[in-house]
Amino acid sequence: MIGDGITVTVLEVRGDVVRVGIDAPRSVKVHRAELLAQLEESNRQAASPSEDMVAQLSEALHRD
Amino acid sequence: MVDNHPIDIPVIELVRPIVGFPDHRRFALVRLHEASDLFSLTSLDQEGLRFLVVPPEHFFPDYAPEVDDDVVADLRIESATDVLVLLVLNPGGSLGETTANLAAPLLVNPGARIAGQIVLDEPGLPVSAPLLG
Repeated sequence: MIGDGITVTVLEVRGDVVRVGIDAPRSVKVHRAELLAQLEESNRQAASPSEDMVAQLSEALHRD
Repeated sequence: MVDNHPIDIPVIELVRPIVGFPDHRRFALVRLHEASDLFSLTSLDQEGLRFLVVPPEHFFPDYAPEVDDDVVADLRIESATDVLVLLVLNPGGSLGETTANLAAPLLVNPGARIAGQIVLDEPGLPVSAPLLG
């Protein structure tokens, strides 16, 4: 994600390999970290649902 | 019902993990009932671990995520028909409480048998979108 005050710096060039540093404002890093934390929490809650819920959802998604 | 005949179910390898489950890479994608579009992404590494996933068309017919070149490369996508989009469901206690994760769909390349949870980070695509209303 480039933009929003993110700077990319060339640190080293060795042959055909370029090492870059990516400096993002703290706000971008915090946002990303928060999103990943939300996703992890959601995935944990979603993991291994009850058989009852599986049955309800299977019914709701029945194709006609 | 006991089935004594082993069934060959393709192993799907996650090239991008389910967020929070970095070491679980091998799954089977199983349609739970032949007349339903509910699938189980079942872990082959940990017994009992599975996620319920569903194509977006039922509840989010306009859902059309755009993915960047890194995703296309990682999932070896050559055309839009190569990829299956699935949403992870968070069941709650009832259908009314069930939500779908629009922020990070599961993209599957069935031909290559690889998949990944793709973090979209788009405004308007929530982690917990209610299925109903």
